[in-house]
Parts: sequence; C-alpha cells; structure tokens
Amino acid sequence: MESLHPRIRLLWIAQTAILAAVFGAVLAAVDRWITPVPTAALAGIVAVAAVLGIAYAVRLYQIWQFELQDDALYLERGVITFVETAVPFVRVQHVDTQFGPVERLLGLSSVVVYTAGSRNADVRIPGLTPDRARELQDTLRDLAVESEADDAV
Amino acid sequence: MNRLHPFSAVVYALRYGLLWMWLPFILVSLLAGTVAVVSIAWLPVVTALGFLFGAGYGIVYYYRFEYGITPDTFDVASGVIARRSREIPYRRIQNVDVRQGVFQRVLGLAIVTIETAGGGTSEAALNVVSKSEADRLQHQIRRRTAAVDQDDSAESAEDDPSAEHPSEDAPATDRPDETDRSDERPSSVETDSRPTADRRESSRQRLFALESRELLLYSLTTVRPAAIAAIGFLFLFATDTILDLLVSIAQPLGGPEDLQNGDTQSYGVLTVVSVINGVIITYLVSVAYTFATYYDFRLGRVDEDFVYERGLLQRYSGSIPAEKVQSVTVTDNPLQRLIDYAGLWVETAGYGPDSSGGSQSAVPMARADHVHRFTENLTHVETPAFESPPPIARRRYLVRYSLIAAAVVAAVFGLAQVTPIERWYFAAVVFATVPPAAHLRYVHLGYYVGEDHLVIRRGFWRRRTTVIPYFRIQTVSTRRSIFQRRLGIASLVVDTASSRTLFWDTPTIYDVDLEDARGVHRTGRTRLQSALRERARTDDAGFSVDFT
Repeated sequence: MESLHPRIRLLWIAQTAILAAVFGAVLAAVDRWITPVPTAALAGIVAVAAVLGIAYAVRLYQIWQFELQDDALYLERGVITFVETAVPFVRVQHVDTQFGPVERLLGLSSVVVYTAGSRNADVRIPGLTPDRARELQDTLRDLAVESEADDAV
Repeated sequence: MNRLHPFSAVVYALRYGLLWMWLPFILVSLLAGTVAVVSIAWLPVVTALGFLFGAGYGIVYYYRFEYGITPDTFDVASGVIARRSREIPYRRIQNVDVRQGVFQRVLGLAIVTIETAGGGTSEAALNVVSKSEADRLQHQIRRRTAAVDQDDSAESAEDDPSAEHPSEDAPATDRPDETDRSDERPSSVETDSRPTADRRESSRQRLFALESRELLLYSLTTVRPAAIAAIGFLFLFATDTILDLLVSIAQPLGGPEDLQNGDTQSYGVLTVVSVINGVIITYLVSVAYTFATYYDFRLGRVDEDFVYERGLLQRYSGSIPAEKVQSVTVTDNPLQRLIDYAGLWVETAGYGPDSSGGSQSAVPMARADHVHRFTENLTHVETPAFESPPPIARRRYLVRYSLIAAAVVAAVFGLAQVTPIERWYFAAVVFATVPPAAHLRYVHLGYYVGEDHLVIRRGFWRRRTTVIPYFRIQTVSTRRSIFQRRLGIASLVVDTASSRTLFWDTPTIYDVDLEDARGVHRTGRTRLQSALRERARTDDAGFSVDFT
C-alpha cells in the first residue's frame, strides 16, 4: 500500500485553519452584535477547533492509503467513516491530474479517477508529487485501455 | 435535414413574442417614473414592437432548427445567431421518448427527446413534430441503434454497407442480418403515410398491460412526494383562502371562530382537523396523479428493446434498449405487501421523461408472485435466499431511533417552555414506536450473493429489492463509521451506472459482519472480471426482453 506525500498534512491543516478562522470570526460577530462572549471562551473554542482539525489531518494522513491491485485501484480512507473502495480498471472512464493554488504552493497534485457510477463517481487521490501523479495517471490510463469492456453505457 | 412541424413556428413565435414583450414593458414602466424623456404613453407601441421582434425571432428559430437521421448519427442543428450542431452516435443513445400533452394529442403532435448517458438534461428535444413523424423517428433510431450493436458483435462496423450510401429514408432493412429476423416487417410497410397504429402493432409484441384493477390498486396504494410538494406550493400561493377554508371546516367540530380568537382547546381541534384535511387532500392528489400518469400503461418489445406507453392527459412513450439496462428493482410499500402486490423497475444510465433519472417502470403493479417471476425471467437470477445482518444491527437501530425519539421529546419540552402547552412529557409515547421501528427496519434488510447477481433488499416504507448483475458493477466500497467499527460491522455500497440517485439511494448492504462485507466485496470484484470475460466470449446481453 502506498501512502500520500507527508506534505498533504500541511494542506489539510491549512484548510482547518481557514475553517477555524471563519468560525472565530462568526463568534466574534456574535460577541459584537448579539450577546457578549467572554474572550477566553472565544479563544478556547477556536483553539479546540484548531487542535481537533490538526489531529484530524494527522490521523487522515495515517489512514489514507492506495494500491494498484491486479484488477482494480484500491483505496482506504476516512477518519469518522472508514471506506475501502475498489475501482476496477475496466470501469475507469477517464483520469485527470489536478492541482489547486494551495496544492501548487506545496508542490502537490491530485489524481481524479472518473467512473460512470452514480455515487463515488469520481475518486480523488490527493497529496501526490506532480511526477507521481503524472505516472499514476499514465498507468491508470494504460490499465483502463488494456481492460476495456464491451458494455460501455 | 428535416424541420419541425410548422405548428412549432406558431408556438415559438408566441413563446419568444411574449418573452420579448415584457422587456420593453418593464423598461418603459421603470424609466417613465425617473427619466423625463420616457413617457408611459409609449407602452402599447414598445410592447407591440417587442412582441413583433420576439415573434420574428421565434419564426427564424423555427427555420433554423433542423434535424436528420444519418447512417451513424442523429443530427440536430439549431440556433439563430450562435449555431449549434450536434451529432449523437446511435450507440450512445439510451432511450428515445415521445411525449404528448392534452393539447398536442388533439392536434396530433408530440415532443421527442433523445437521452444519452452523459449530462443532466436531454441530449436533443424536438418540440414539436407530428405524431407520425415522432413514431417514425423513434422507430428508426431504435432500429439503427440495434443495427450498430449488431455490427459491434459481428465486428463488421467498418464494412457496414449503409455507411457508404447515406440515405435518409431507406432504413437499414436491406441489410442481410436483419431481414431474416422473424419479427421484422418488410421494409415496404414502413412508409410515413401508413397509420401509426398498423405499423406499431405489426412489429410490437406486448409484454405487459396494466389492467384497470391493477391501475386502481396502484393509484390507491402509492403516495407520491410530488403531491406533498404540489399541496405545499398551492398553500404558498393561496395561504389566506386556504386558512379561511380550514377554519370554517373545523368550526362545527369545535374550532375557533377565526384565527385570532380561540382558546387552547379550539386551537387544538383546528390543528387536528386541519392535519387530517391536509393528509386526505394530499392523498387524493397523489391518487389522481398516479392514475393520470399510469393510465393505460403498456409495455412491449420490439426486437431487443422495451417500449412503453402511458398517461391519461399527458401521453408518454419511450424505448429502452435491453442492453442498456443496469439493474432491476422490485418495489413495494406496506400497503402493497398487505395485498401481495409489487412493482418492477428497470434502471438505465439515461435521463427519463419524468426527470426522475433513468429509472423506468416496467411493471407498475402486479401480483407479487408474478413480479418475482418477471424478475427471474428478465435477469435469469435464481430465487434469492436472503441473508440477514447480524442481530447486533437491530440493537444499533434501537439506539439510533431512541436518540431520535429523545430529540423529539426534547423539542416538545423546548416548545412547552415558550408556549402554553403543558404535560410535555406525554411526548414520551414516541419511545413506544422505537422497538417496532428498529425491528421492521432490521427484518426488511437482506442480501443474496447469487451465481451471476447480487440481490440487495432494504427499506420498510418503500422496500426495494435490487438485482445487480456482477457485470454492471462500477465500484464497490466497504464503509464503516466509528460506531460500526466498535460493533465489528460494515456497510457495502455497490455502485452501478444507473443515474437515479436523487430519490433512491445507491444499493447498499447495511450493517453486516465485517468479514461478510469483505467477502461480498471480493466476490463482487472477482465475478465482475469473470462475467466480463464471459460476456466478451458469448455476447450475451444478460437481460431477456421477453420476460412476462
């Protein structure tokens, strides 16, 4: 099983930091206009949210794993709900590599695998180095072409 | 390339005329109050000009809208200023639907929509063509789709004779592989001047027709969420009238004089009576809606396609290629189980005319044993021997529903603090419903790992038993929440390409032992591979069209 690049934790922590900041701003607004909230409670809540977010990011990184098996792409992920997904190569419609501004800043990239399914129709593998993402995309594409089925929808 | 029915020009002219009439109307009305130059007296002139412009646009739109059948694709070109021409390969077409409203039925017109698997809307809509043209298109497209698929299996797509002689009106009947089919009509019959009924009956084999008894039972036992939405919508628009009506109905039974004057008891009576009224009216609307939608339902087969027709006021007809069917679902609700009836649905990846996804009713209602036989004939699945989740799952639902009940009691308690309601603790009776609810949810869960199919049953109010051939599996996921991990159980989500997800969840085996879930996960994966190899060798569609 292959893990994600360790730097992905920074991305997830950044995401929770933004969320915590928004949450803090909302609390500050409540404090200012609706009802006074003690500053210590405000700081405490934001701090707890931030710590939980960081713990979540670290744990998610520990859990996130994927593997190219002989018939399918296999992924394990999820902190609250642990999900093991198998995406058979024969079901892969197309494969993208994507990276957003923050990912680019961290030198990371994602591979998104699309199937024709209705749920989990796009499976995203985040936190790959751009080279690894490109390589994975090529491999998946080759495997998908190799195993192409006759019954496309 | 063909044009739409000339009547469309009138419709488009009116539609765009009315649309463009409003723009100058609103502009002048707004500006007249603020800008001195603009006078309100201009209104009739600008409105007329706007209408004329819109009507002109509509007529040009009609002249610029063209469609045609080519050997490989169905083409639509449209647009006045920005042109769009679209070619839809036959092999990608999921279904072709024909829809007729009341007005259109009187005039002999119809709307044709063509669905493929991609996108959120219909790929092409012809609004409107004559009914005979609609039937001709539906027939031609179906025939050509079937021909493409035949070519595929024979691997002779390159030397397709009709591809070199593109001709609009000569269908693919001169092809040798088609003429020897027993249920094929000679091509001479297929002229546009023939009455539609003759043409259809000759090739069409009836599979199922909804009898009036079944239609009535179906209407009476089905409750549609759409009816609730319709009533809610009506309430928004005529709130005062409806409130007055409700008050006057409740008055003889002890309701208040009007909404402002009343005591606790009379308000209580009003609430109870109004809720009963609401339920009855919603139910009646739902019955009427189902009756009108499924009136004169007929399912037939043409070659390897299902064709259906239904509707009292708005008439629908459509075709579903058997090889596009993703999964098959048997549905029933408590009432239907009581009288031993059930319905059968087929799911494709397209978008149906109901905007309810690619799920089509194949048999809206029939005796349960018939429906089970139909399902077995259709999918070749053996009679499933369902396995249940472990009893610990039931305990889980008990806890879950207890939490919901506690939330209800807490809400009533909260309400009692701000309103004159006393004795909030009577709300605790909801706890009495928890054990039966948990038990009923549990007993209706089941799954069966068959030779070629996975059968998943779940739900009490709308129980669904979905038959998924292994070769239709897209992805499989084993999911475990923190609570499930504690109990050592897991849920298995089996995803197919059927697009109906808004109302129907993805087939899921809930709360089975982790080892069982992993076992089914593995089985699904390996059988998908072997089934695909098998299919490549034998070219078996996997579904029998002739299932009744």
